[in-house]
Amino acid sequence: MGEQIAFGLTAAGIVGCALLVVLLKNAFQAAVALIGTLVSVAILFVLQHAPFVAFVQIIVYAGAIVTLFLFVLAYLGERALSDPDRLEHFEVFSWITILVITAMGAIVMFTTALPNFHTVPETTEDIGSPTALGFAFLREHLLPFEATSLVLLVGAVGAVVLAKRAVMAEGGR
Amino acid sequence: MNALAHAAAVTGVPHSSYIGLSVLLFAIGLFGVARRRNPLLLLLSVELLLNAANVALIGFSRYWNNSDGQIFALVVMVVAAAEVVIGLGLVVAVFRQRRALDVDEMTELRG
Repeated sequence: MGEQIAFGLTAAGIVGCALLVVLLKNAFQAAVALIGTLVSVAILFVLQHAPFVAFVQIIVYAGAIVTLFLFVLAYLGERALSDPDRLEHFEVFSWITILVITAMGAIVMFTTALPNFHTVPETTEDIGSPTALGFAFLREHLLPFEATSLVLLVGAVGAVVLAKRAVMAEGGR
Repeated sequence: MNALAHAAAVTGVPHSSYIGLSVLLFAIGLFGVARRRNPLLLLLSVELLLNAANVALIGFSRYWNNSDGQIFALVVMVVAAAEVVIGLGLVVAVFRQRRALDVDEMTELRG
């Protein structure tokens, strides 16, 4: 019963805040609404026996990424806040795309051959603790782990190059 | 199925509910990507898409009773962080040169 109540509340939070992110005119308010979605998703991860991923979700997403968004919004000033939305000429196509994607998801969900898809999965092993994830990373998934560090290095170098070029374009060193 | 498992089946949330929530979140994010013109808000909607994928990955990690889905989700988070850094860097660079924040006006790659 507890999981059902928690799932209902977090699902309402996820969908409500996601709609706010998509529909709000003000970019600052949309970025703050994204925090609601991210924290609700983190609570959902705790319900799914993934506490470590939930904490990483809060630290990396709600902490670092949204802060970066808010920093850039504050840096760019008023101009970043106005949002001339599309959906005048091509509204039909975007609606068709969204409806087709949702219908595909529904069809796959109701016709899937996976066993016990519509029942509650039983978790018998430790799958989400930092210990389990550490062993999984270092014993079975070492290559993705190293590739991850390479992605972060390339991202950091790319950000520095972009910033350097912007400074040089304005006459700095 | 013993009595304890049966009680859990009655009181818990079925796996399909989590996947359905993931589909719904993905559709909302896709709506945002189709609708927004401001590149910053476009990136916010892309974050919604990545989170929908993460919800599905964590759900299937529990479904298959192993950690692989959670490993996937952590890698997706790293990719999301790198994507936001590069995306925001590009937005700031374009903004300093053009003074415009509208993806429909970014039609040439000239530096």
